[in-house]
Formats: sequence, structure tokens, C-alpha cells
Amino acid sequence: MRRVAMIGAGMTDFGELFELGIKDIVPMAVTEAVNSVDKGFDRNDIQAAWFGELVATDGFATGILADSCGLLDIPVSRLENACATGNDAVRHGAMAIASGMYDVVLVVGADKVRETSSRSTFWDWMGMTRDAAWDFPLGLVAPANFALHAARYLHESPVATREHLAMVAVKNHHHGVTNPKAQMRFEITMEQVLNAPMVVEPFGLYDCTPQSDGGAAVILVAEELADRYTDSPVWVRGTGIGLDRVMHQHKRDMTTFPPTVKAAKQAYAMAGIGPGDVDVAEVHDCFTGVELINYEDLGFCDKWGAAKMIENRETYVGGRIPINPSGGLKAKGHPPGATGVAQCFEIWEQLRGQSTNQVDGARLGLAHNVGGPTAVSAITILGIDKD
Amino acid sequence: MIARMISISRIGTALPPWGNEGARTVGDDEDAVTLAVAAGLAALGDTDPSIIGDVVFVSRDFPLLEGGNGAALLAGLGCDDGVRIREIIGGSPAVLDAIAHATDGTLVIGSDAAGSAGASAVLCGRSGATVELAGRVTRSMPVTTRDARGNSSDYADPRLLRERGVNESLARLGDPRPIAAAGLSAREAGSVCDGNTPKLVTTGASAIGFALAALVEQGASGTVLAVEQATLVVARLGEGNVLVTRDEPPARPRPGGQLAPGASVSISLSAYERAFDAKLRLAAAECADCGELSYPPRHRCIECGSEQPTTLVPLPRRGEAYSVATIRVPVPGLISPYTVVIVELGDTGVRTLVRLTGATPGSVAIGDTGRLVFRLVAVRQGVPDYGYGFLPDSAQAEQKGAA
Ligand SMILES: [Zn+2]
Repeated sequence: MRRVAMIGAGMTDFGELFELGIKDIVPMAVTEAVNSVDKGFDRNDIQAAWFGELVATDGFATGILADSCGLLDIPVSRLENACATGNDAVRHGAMAIASGMYDVVLVVGADKVRETSSRSTFWDWMGMTRDAAWDFPLGLVAPANFALHAARYLHESPVATREHLAMVAVKNHHHGVTNPKAQMRFEITMEQVLNAPMVVEPFGLYDCTPQSDGGAAVILVAEELADRYTDSPVWVRGTGIGLDRVMHQHKRDMTTFPPTVKAAKQAYAMAGIGPGDVDVAEVHDCFTGVELINYEDLGFCDKWGAAKMIENRETYVGGRIPINPSGGLKAKGHPPGATGVAQCFEIWEQLRGQSTNQVDGARLGLAHNVGGPTAVSAITILGIDKD
Repeated sequence: MIARMISISRIGTALPPWGNEGARTVGDDEDAVTLAVAAGLAALGDTDPSIIGDVVFVSRDFPLLEGGNGAALLAGLGCDDGVRIREIIGGSPAVLDAIAHATDGTLVIGSDAAGSAGASAVLCGRSGATVELAGRVTRSMPVTTRDARGNSSDYADPRLLRERGVNESLARLGDPRPIAAAGLSAREAGSVCDGNTPKLVTTGASAIGFALAALVEQGASGTVLAVEQATLVVARLGEGNVLVTRDEPPARPRPGGQLAPGASVSISLSAYERAFDAKLRLAAAECADCGELSYPPRHRCIECGSEQPTTLVPLPRRGEAYSVATIRVPVPGLISPYTVVIVELGDTGVRTLVRLTGATPGSVAIGDTGRLVFRLVAVRQGVPDYGYGFLPDSAQAEQKGAA
């Protein structure tokens, strides 16, 4: 397989972008990525593109990318893999280059969640992830999906409490303050999190990601071409996709997300590293409890070790392994198709020493999504070193 | 005439937990069908439902007027879908008439969802206490009305109803002095009956079953009266052993909840039809090769990968909460808050995802035990979507504490 270099990355602001449609957001993200290339980039060099979008807004997704970005003469494919869409789109771009089929590939992720009313999103998303006869009529909204895991996790964990969930929210809001692209750039206190209105127990309002619009894009090239575009490329070192039983009734142990464990195993093996080698990670914190479970599933600590990690501030920037320096989904926002690609954008900046919330000396970074009915995970490992 | 005489051997009653001791109201996940299932199962007890050869379902609150109630009731009762079932729009007179004309193995159910809610089921056969028709008069005195569109009106003249309705009809039957009267208020029943007439919690189709249950519990026999407006049926209850089982939790206030505006939840009737038997009968697919139970049923065995045809087998109904989530935010078309529970059933290892029922949302914890009961999961584009809800044992304790 050929090595794959990330030579450009960009993203729009995340937030309730009522003034922008998907046909605005996609070209804006692509232009940001094009403009980020150190030695300049001609978009006519792009040979193929992948578009990760969870819910098609304004219709035909691939055509919208091709048309709105002036890329009418290349193949474009849409990819949808629930909340793992973004990192899976990156994986597809990387595969296209590694295989030798293309030399220059564009990967875009975008979603326009706030194109519909904030409440109708519940049913839009449930319809995509739930069995029409069995689960759908129960009203298992997205927060409940994850709350069933978090409740069982808190029940079984000898240490974790709702306070530990709140600590995740406080950290990610703190991290988001310096991120100019973040949707929620303000600090919150433990009291605010714990006293906020309940959404789905054990998640209060501040335990949940906001509903967001936004887009992100990365440009991938073959190793031989990297020099032409930059002297400091970031290498796609590993990717992984893990799956699980789709119905919660069939998940034997709900204190973990097996898709994450499987995706991580693949990605670590491909990169030839272990979790202890990761310097910085962007992980899927759609709900605070999910971030804690991720620490364990990704191997950053032992089972039930996550509570102590957040308690000891090990995942703050400056700690043992900074997690979600961008603010994460919690503070940066979560337009699902864009989320994984934007995580890669953050890691790209971190590895090149350009982040507004820089982790000193970061050489290896990990981006992670988990989603759908908690049945899919996608992971990308990026490094400043080729091997 | 002797050959036609029928006996009743078992009576089951069911009440929703919501309301007060005088009158119950249905919860959001109950209707005339779910109450009928609860009463029918109470009547059956441990008896195999295959003894039921005929079902008569009487109500004026059928959720579906174009068909569909019968199949749901048979499934909920565990009866074969080849069992004859008749839906009769009527009140207690229709129920008493159906009992008196029943054959061996007939289950007669009266169910009321509007007004004072409740249901009763009477199993008829050769043993037990005889019920013999003694008189019938059908007259019109529509003081309260409800038309096909659900519009109702009330003429509001109780004295007219009593004197020219009930009393005139009684006179035409030779002024019987019954020992119990179903379909009347407690005061009116007292005035037309001899002795201590049982106080009944419902006045519709289910009332006569409650009356018979009370009488056999007292060891009483004699004339019973069923009333609906000016229509009367009178029968004689004989002596004999009748087993009464009451599924009647003590009453308590119905928890508040807010219906969030929004479109009705959509339904796929293809998916509904495929899931119907497994879902309404709470039955798993048993693998022909390894015996693994898959719930919901699936093409390929979850354990061994076999794709051989499977057999539906009933699942145990007792279980333990494996995880719980209470949704407190408004969800369009739903009443919040509500609680979803993953329940592990008996020692089968099978889990099912259901709503909490019969308890305040949020009042169940992981590890709590309880049972699955037939409930209305949702109404989707007008279709009642039946399934099961988790009734925790703690709800019963909560009720006792409140009583
Ligand atoms: Zn099998």
C-alpha cells in the first residue's frame, strides 16, 4: 500500500448557521482546505472526491458537492455511516490513494442539522437508526440511545458518578473557549452542569452536544506528491471501522462500545502503535458519559479507570493525554457528517503545531467517532512521522 | 332447555392503576383491548389458553372500527388465530346475554376505556355456577349519545331515565328484585336491588363481570340485572365454584405528562405485519439447530448462524431491568416524560426494549424486577401499535404505600 499524506485541511465555523445552506457550507469548507496547502493548490489536481453527509439536505449530495465546488469532471461518491460518517469518509479517501487508483483525493464532510426544527431532528434521526416495527415507536431518541449505556456504566462502575460526567463537560467547554470555530465558546461550572434541566437521565442539558451545522474538508495525496504541496505533511497512519449488534437488546455488555474496541484494534495495528503512543485525541463526546467509556475502549486506561482520569485532569491540555482540545462535539459542535473530518482537521493542526489550543510536541493523534444505534465506530490515526 | 344451560367457572377483572377508588382512568398506553387482555389473562390464570374456543368481546370503546381489535386481543390472550371472535358494540346487557348463550370454552369479555375504565372476563363451560337468562327488554332512552364521529351529547335528565327508562323496563319484566345491578350508579343499584348490592367501579360493558365476581366471592346466588340506558337483561346466577382473580392495583393519581405538538409518528404496515405475532404474543424464534432464542425473530440465528425455519415460542414474562433511560425533553407526538427499559427475561438471556408502564416515569432502577404486560406502545397514523410494557414490582409496592 502507498503511504497517504494529508496536505490540506479546513473547516467552517460550527453552529446554527441559519444564513448558510449546504450549498454554501460545502464550498466554504473545501476552499478553506485548498487555501491551507502550504505551497498552494490547484483544485483541478483533485482526481476524486468523497462526501460524508448523514442526512441529505437540499437533495442529491454528490451533485451538490461537484456543482457547488466547481468539480464537475471528477467522480464523487456519497458516504453515510451514521455518526462515524466523517472518519469513514477519510478512510475511503485514504484507501483510494493507498490502492494506487488516485493520487489526489478530496474528502468533505458536512451536515445541516438546523435546516429543520430542533425538535423534528429527533424523529429524523430515529428513523435512520431504528427498526421500524420494534424500536422506532418507543421514542428511543438519540440521547436515550447513549443514556442506556451511561446508566449501566454508572451502575456497574465502582467509582464513576454523575459528577465525573459533568467534569467532561467542564473540560470540553474549557477547551472550546480558544477555538474560533467552536459553537460554544464559554466556560461552564460543575454546578451549572449538575443543575441544568434533565434531558435524558443521566444526561442534563450540558451533558449533550448542541445541534450544529458545519462542514470540513481534507486533501489527501500519494507520498510521491506530498513534497509538491508541503514540507510538513501529516500522514494517515491507521484507520479502522468497528460494528456491533444494531439493537440494544442484543448488546451483552452496555458498559462498553465494542465498535470502538474493534476499530481501535484495526487502526493501532495498521499504524504499528499502541494507545500509550497517542499524544492527543479527538473522541466522540456527543454525550459526556460516552467520552468516559471511550477512554477505556480506546485503551487510554483500564476498565473503570476513566473516572480517575478526568478527576486527575489527565485529559486536559497539559495532562497525560489531552482529549478533545478543540472542545469536542460538546463545545465545538456536531454536524454529524462533518464531525469526523473536523476532528482530523484539529489533529492535523495539532501535529503541525498550529492549533489554538496546542498540545506541546504532539507527534501522533487519534480521531474517533461512535454512533448510529451505538453500533458503529470509525477511527483515524494521524502522525507527523511516516512510520 | 337443560342442554342449553351454561356455567361460569372463572372470572378475571382488570383495572388501570390511575384514578381514585370510585373511578379509574386509562393510562396513555392502555385502551379497551389492553384492558380486555389483562382481564382475560386474569381469568385464565395458569390455564392453557387453548381451552378457549370462542371469544366474545363487548365494548363501546373499540379502538378500531374498521377491524383489527380481534387479532390483537387473541394475540394478547395467547389464543390461536383460528379461534372465533366476535366484537359486539354494547354494554353489560350484551355481556350477560352472551354469557347466558355461551358454549363450553367461551370467554366473554366486557371492556370500558372511556369514563370509568375497567374490564372483566368470564370463562363459560360445564362446571361452576349456572347462569340462566330470565328476561330481556330492549328500549330506547338515549340520554347520553356518542355518534360515529365521536361527538357526544348529554340530555341531562336522570329522573326521566330512571322512571321511564329503567323502572318502566323493569316493570315490563315483572319487577324482578335482583341481588346485583350492573350499569347503574351505586345509589340507583341500591334502589332496584334487594339486600346489599355490590358496589361496582364501572358502569359499562365490564360492570356485569365485576358484579358476578362480587356475588360469587360472597357466595351469593340469585337474580342479576344488567342495564344500559333503558335496555335490560336479567339472568339467574346459580350456586357453584367460581374462581375470581382480580388484577386491580389500588388507585393513585395518574402521573402528569405533556404531549409535545408535532406530527404523528409514522408507521410501516409491512413491518407491523411481519412483527405482529412475535411482538403481540411475546414470542421468540427458536433455532432449529441450536435452540437459541432470537427476539425479535431473525433470518439467521444470532448464535449459530443457522438459516433453518424457526418456531415461535413464548418468552417468560418476569424479568429484571438491565438498563433504564428516562426521556424528560419534549419529543414531538409523544407525552414526556417517559421511561424506556431493557428487560432481561427470566433466565433465557433474552432482553427486550420496552416502555415502563403502571409506574411514575423515572421510578424504576437497574436491577428492579417486574413483569411484561400487554400495552399500547404507540398510536401511529391512527394504528394502535401493541406490544409489551414493563410493570415493576416496585410499582405495586408504591401503590400499596399510597393506598
Ligand atoms: Zn442457532
